Amino acid sequence: MSTPLQVYEPFKAGLPKLGRYWKSLWSRRTFIKEYSKSELREQHFDSVFGQLWLVLNPLLLSGVYFILIIIIGGATDSARYAHLTASLFLFYLVANSLTGGVKSVTAGQRLILNTAFPRIMLPISAVVIAIFKFLPTLIVFVVIKAVVGSPFTVQMLWAIPVLLITIFLALAVAITISCINVYFRDIASFLPYLTRTLLYLSPILYEASALKPSLRAIEIVNPLFPILDSWSRAVVQGKAPELSSMLQGLGWATGIFFIGTYFFLSREREFAVRL
Amino acid sequence: MSSLSVSNSHFTNELAVSIRGVGLTYTTSIDKKPTLKARVKSLGRGKKQTRIVRALDDINLDVQYGQVLGVIGTNGAGKSSLMRCVAGILPPSQGRIEVYGSVSTLLALGVGFNPSMSGRDNVLLGGLAAGMSREEIDGNFDEIAEFSELGDAIDAPMRTYSSGMYARLAFSVAAVVRPDILIIDEALSTGDAKFKEKSLNRVKELRSDDRALILVSHAMQTLRDTCNDVAWLHKGKLVQRGEPNTVIDAYQEFLHLGKSAVIDEDF
Repeated sequence: MSTPLQVYEPFKAGLPKLGRYWKSLWSRRTFIKEYSKSELREQHFDSVFGQLWLVLNPLLLSGVYFILIIIIGGATDSARYAHLTASLFLFYLVANSLTGGVKSVTAGQRLILNTAFPRIMLPISAVVIAIFKFLPTLIVFVVIKAVVGSPFTVQMLWAIPVLLITIFLALAVAITISCINVYFRDIASFLPYLTRTLLYLSPILYEASALKPSLRAIEIVNPLFPILDSWSRAVVQGKAPELSSMLQGLGWATGIFFIGTYFFLSREREFAVRL
Repeated sequence: MSSLSVSNSHFTNELAVSIRGVGLTYTTSIDKKPTLKARVKSLGRGKKQTRIVRALDDINLDVQYGQVLGVIGTNGAGKSSLMRCVAGILPPSQGRIEVYGSVSTLLALGVGFNPSMSGRDNVLLGGLAAGMSREEIDGNFDEIAEFSELGDAIDAPMRTYSSGMYARLAFSVAAVVRPDILIIDEALSTGDAKFKEKSLNRVKELRSDDRALILVSHAMQTLRDTCNDVAWLHKGKLVQRGEPNTVIDAYQEFLHLGKSAVIDEDF
């Protein structure tokens, strides 16, 4: 008699077979792409005005914050505006992954109850959507940078590893929060406060170097701090970021990713009865 | 996870699914949704507001290739739970399920569909959700479109569809999947009488020696016509299994009497 292709036994805490899980996830990469595309289309990002809004929204936001900086901080310059937009756009990549990720599993209820697939696909799609929303803002930033006359250097290529670390972190937080939301549905209502707090704790409205020594603790507890600092150094100042900052960011992302993914994978077989 | 690409040829009477002593228990919260607020509020009281549901209880069932198994039972008998266990959606609480082949499920129609997209896009989405590859879907697209009888409406957004059109497209997508083991849960009664007939014929076409079909239905006549084996579930237990007419007669007699000797033994 042939060996069984699949064996389903009582759920034990612990991870599923990772090799098989990965294979199954990889075979569904087209589904992830199409699923994200359909979600984007539902939010009208396939139309001209939808795309325009995608760019206009962060631009208006950065305008509002810039006024805030002028009022509170007094005089300011164009380089400051470049820093603000660059940091804000990258921040929204993570923030959108959080807001998209939090309900990804609970909103995929029909899918989860009726088909077997690696559930982690759902928060991954949320991050893919956030990346799609981020890309047009990147172009806007390049235009702003050219307009304010900020230098373009080879060192700006450091932005690529920084961006990859950010996407990794975005994935990590999306997976973690989507799993938490299955057990505590009201997390979604706390999320706006969480992202708002993160925004103010990150070097966006101010520059990392401007932080008072007594407030240095923020630098250590906020995963986004070293990443946004590196990002601003690379793309705004055109300098190589500090390696320690990048490693700190990578460390945060790796830590959250492993903890979040462990919980997600060990719990996902239970999601069907929890929804 | 079902994967359709690993489909092998199987022989009649070869074991397709083996269910051994499977039980499924789960706790549902009495509060509608689990929230942090509710958890904090119930901290002092110590007791969690939950109810334990015993959906399946010591089920033993083998399905062989070439078999068309009908599953019957009243609402809440555990039919859908059992199908979800076989499909790998719900892990059993006790026992062991072995599946010897690729499984495709048709537990609900239109899974993965997005109403704001056109029918054409949804064929892709639904197909991918069912585990097909892009090439398989593209290759079968004409067949799907033709079977659904939607005509030009296939390019209109699905939110403009009538519920019958929606169901027709959903069934058409599912009908092109050619797995080793196909599980259909009450998805046959879609559309008008003509389409119903057509979808039933498609299921009959799918019957073959190297495939196992499991049909969950309340349409007894359909099961009598299509199946060569019927299992009757009641309150999570397997009551009777065997020749369709015998089991269905017993089930119908039970329905009319409200209780029967077979059930009384257990309760």
